[in-house]
Amino acid sequence: MPDNDRDLKSRPDPDALLALAEQGRRGKLTVFLGAAPGVGKTYAMLTRARRLKEEGGDIVIGLVETHGRSETAALLEGLEVLPRRQVLHNGRTLHEFDLDAALARRPRVILVDELAHTNFGESRHPKRYQDIEELVDAGIDVWTALNIQHLESLSDVVAQIAGVPVRERVPDTVLNRADDVLLVDLPPAELIERLKEGKVYLPDSAKRAADRFFRLGNLTALRELALRRTADRVDDQMVDYLRQNAIEGPWGAAERLLVCIGPDSLSEKVVRTASRLASGLNADWLVVSVERADGEAESGAAMRQLDETFRLAEQLGAETRRIIGNDFVEEILKLARREHATQIVIGTRRHRFPLRLLRRSLPDALAAQAAGIAIHLVTDGSAPAAKPAARRRSTLPEGWGRGVAIAAGAAAAATALGLLIEQFVVLQNISLLFLLAVLVSATYAGYVAAIAAALISVLAYNFCFIEPVGTFTVAEPHEVFALFVFLAAAILAGGLASRVREQAKTARRRAAATQALYDFSRKLSGTANAEDVLWAAVTQIQATLRRNAALLLPEDGDVRLMAAWPPDTELGLTDTMAARWAFEKKEAAGNGTGTLPNSPFQFRPLMSPHGVVGVFGFLQGDKPLEINEERALAAILDQTAIAVDRARLSREILDQAAQLEGEKFLAALLSSISHDLRTPLATITGAVTSLRQLGERMPEESRDDLLKSIEEESGRLTRFVANLLDMTRIEAGTVNAKRDWVDVADVVHSAVERARKYFPGRVFETSIAPDLPLIRGDSVLLGQVIFNLLDNANRFGGDEPVSVYGRREEDEIVLSVTDLGKGIAAADLDHVFDKFFRKGKPDGRSLGTGLGLSISKGFVEAMDGRIKAESPAMKRRGTRISMRFPAAEAAIVEKERG
Amino acid sequence: MSAERILVVDDEPQIQRFLRPALLAAGYEVMEAANGAQALKAAVTAAPDIVILDLGLPDMDGKDVVANIRAWSQVPIIILSARDRESEKIAALDLGADDYIEKPFGIGELTARIRAALRHRIQMAGSQAQLTADGLSIDMVKRVVTRDGAALRLTPKEYDLLVMLAHHAGRVVTHRTLLTSVWGAAHGEDLHYLRVFIGQLRAKIERDPGNPKIVRTEPGVGYRFVGDED
Repeated sequence: MPDNDRDLKSRPDPDALLALAEQGRRGKLTVFLGAAPGVGKTYAMLTRARRLKEEGGDIVIGLVETHGRSETAALLEGLEVLPRRQVLHNGRTLHEFDLDAALARRPRVILVDELAHTNFGESRHPKRYQDIEELVDAGIDVWTALNIQHLESLSDVVAQIAGVPVRERVPDTVLNRADDVLLVDLPPAELIERLKEGKVYLPDSAKRAADRFFRLGNLTALRELALRRTADRVDDQMVDYLRQNAIEGPWGAAERLLVCIGPDSLSEKVVRTASRLASGLNADWLVVSVERADGEAESGAAMRQLDETFRLAEQLGAETRRIIGNDFVEEILKLARREHATQIVIGTRRHRFPLRLLRRSLPDALAAQAAGIAIHLVTDGSAPAAKPAARRRSTLPEGWGRGVAIAAGAAAAATALGLLIEQFVVLQNISLLFLLAVLVSATYAGYVAAIAAALISVLAYNFCFIEPVGTFTVAEPHEVFALFVFLAAAILAGGLASRVREQAKTARRRAAATQALYDFSRKLSGTANAEDVLWAAVTQIQATLRRNAALLLPEDGDVRLMAAWPPDTELGLTDTMAARWAFEKKEAAGNGTGTLPNSPFQFRPLMSPHGVVGVFGFLQGDKPLEINEERALAAILDQTAIAVDRARLSREILDQAAQLEGEKFLAALLSSISHDLRTPLATITGAVTSLRQLGERMPEESRDDLLKSIEEESGRLTRFVANLLDMTRIEAGTVNAKRDWVDVADVVHSAVERARKYFPGRVFETSIAPDLPLIRGDSVLLGQVIFNLLDNANRFGGDEPVSVYGRREEDEIVLSVTDLGKGIAAADLDHVFDKFFRKGKPDGRSLGTGLGLSISKGFVEAMDGRIKAESPAMKRRGTRISMRFPAAEAAIVEKERG
Repeated sequence: MSAERILVVDDEPQIQRFLRPALLAAGYEVMEAANGAQALKAAVTAAPDIVILDLGLPDMDGKDVVANIRAWSQVPIIILSARDRESEKIAALDLGADDYIEKPFGIGELTARIRAALRHRIQMAGSQAQLTADGLSIDMVKRVVTRDGAALRLTPKEYDLLVMLAHHAGRVVTHRTLLTSVWGAAHGEDLHYLRVFIGQLRAKIERDPGNPKIVRTEPGVGYRFVGDED
């Protein structure tokens, strides 16, 4: 057993190996890390680049700022430098790194200086580190340089040390993902020396700050940060190495931090602190916020702050989660246990004295119950809870003026009513009327109104009903007491009532949102067609978010706008690029994101269980989505993605079914053709061999009959082959009907003669009106049509005679062939002119070729005629096929008139 | 011996039209049926000596006719079939039909098949102990196979295979029938066994194994033993 154990442990951790394999597909990122500008990062990078070049490596300078210094410029000589892209920014032409040129050039290694740079103007990404990530994703090795002060998690520390705010920040994840970090170190004293000699380039704007920044103390502190950071990385790498090689390591049980934040200004600090703590402990960290289920709605500004903090946490490499629950402490501890958190990080503010007594703080409550979990408290650096009142005011619900007005009105009404009632009866508890006013205000206008109503009520009650009436003075001490009790009761009741109102409002809003979502999903479930799904989705999104919306689906390897609201929405080049990005990278792009933020739209991938099925875009404008809008949108997008996916699948199934149907049809076609050819051939072969081998032994009449059958079957074959040829001609569109004068009666009679020869047992009757006008057409084709119809009538006509009629109806000649057989089922009537349609068994045994009617139709239409089938024809049986041709004389007459 | 009675089941009047005089001239008595129901009725009431059956019938599947007849009778059944209905043909053979012939066919081939089937019926009555084909002689009592007088050494499986084919001399035996009777019911689909053993068998019994005369291949269907009498 112990042996087994060791076996398991010494096997390399599969996750670690997987991570290693994935690294193989990306380019390698090497970061030259320095404590401050001027330590020689660019110099170090270029020196290494030259060495690589001399060794024959494929290295290209993507961008290096020499700042006009000859030492650095000299190093560039002999190296391939990519031309820069010109960018217009605020009327000035700037030169930016050309990402697309770099991707097109595809060197093994590219050197791009200044990782923290912010791109100007129209660039794909706002930040250079995003350009670099794209290069690395494309499999290109990148060397870049970074000063420690630009690291996101250290920015507050750096600001504290140096007293200078850091504007350009790089998320820690970028550095964490770097394959190599090279520390470029220079002792602070030497750096200051270089600065004095003017060897350190600083932008003009920074010159003034430089004196404050480049102090020995600052530089030493920054150097320490850089050294520590690098040391941490080395430590991580060693742990990774140990894991990959399954070396029994000294690493302890994994620490896991749970970081609690809320919609306040302290949370950002909590996150930064937790990030440092996590990297120090080498721990995973999960950032969580708890939102009240009863929807004590936070203001939009607070929610945006929370969103910001979450974004920061994600950038710093945290996992994030938002949970909903009423009992904060319970939810946090539940999550902590589920996630096996070993430490909780939470911010705390020192409340002012009275509140501190009243409330047990959240950390205290947590500490009381969190057995076995360490709790870190992050305190606010500023004065203890300086401005709760101001915060309160800032979160006053909008329209509070209206609330106060309602409160005043309610109090006035209560006063008037009280005075009125007093005329008739003596009321002991007039204060109840005022309580009613407070409750009414609370219910209709919220908490502020309730407080206002309580205060106004106290004044009005005092003024109008408490002796001495008409003054604000109170004679009796017990009345003073009563007033205070009333005030307290009113405020409490008002608070409760307004809370009920808020909850009702939240519930209504949620119900409305749920209803909308329900309606939407019902609408979606009713449609299997992708187009309908998309339209339903964009209109729903427009109705929910009140923003322009667009949906794009993949087509031929690109994404194409399929539906939008308003319907005439058009996407520009940048928008399309952002949409493509969202589709390919499966991440949000466009406005408000890190990729192509110049597009007015924000695009998000539509993810179904089968992967990304499309892209959704909406007009972001100036205000980002609020949290409840985000939720509604997420729900709609989920449903849309599934519906689109379903529509796609059902279309695929339909296509497959159609293909299968096509294959089946083809098989039936081949089988029927082969049957039609084989039966006469079998008869002929059989009859011929019988005659040859057994003829002598046969009676005379049998031999005759065999010969006759050979003749008949040969005729049948000939007709079938002719039919096939005719059909081919019709299909190929090469039927050239002549435009001769045709005497219908002549053609009918000769066709009937021919039929009588072929089908000797059958009675054919003709009835052609005597002075039938001529038609324009082709007598050979018409003869063939009539013969085909007679052939059919013979086949299906039972034992009854077949009749042919010809007459004039207004400007048309009507010809019809009628049999009295079983007729055609109503459902089949529409299909009788289809190619290879035949009644009876699918293999069409002995039911004809299935070509006759379809050929007839082709010929008739080639002569500008129409053909139609009716059944039953007469006496509830039989089939009549009738054709109509324009009478030639009438046409001529009309021409002469016109 | 009175003339053998042949029941011809085909719904194409043209086919009946030439089969009837031809078979009459060849010395058989002919009964006709144009659909499955008539065929079954005639098979019961008229006790034909052999049935010629077209698989495509207007009222029922020809395979069902085979199964139905086989349920109570061993009368030889020859299938008339078309090349595009191969799977049906094999199914009918597996259901107990004795042989098949593809349309179009010459009357000579049909009468030869009829003779082989009828002979088999007689053999079944008094099983044949000795069989010869192209210089090959099989003595089923002594279990000895000789070629031009010289004894051949066959493995037990090769011998079983040869005897199975020889029992149905002149008629096709489907792959499935061979596999299940020689290797067992579980091996009905193991065509590769058959390919290998037929190859081995031919190498031993045929004069020219590349151009076999005794064990003929019926492509896609099975094998046929051609004896001297066929």
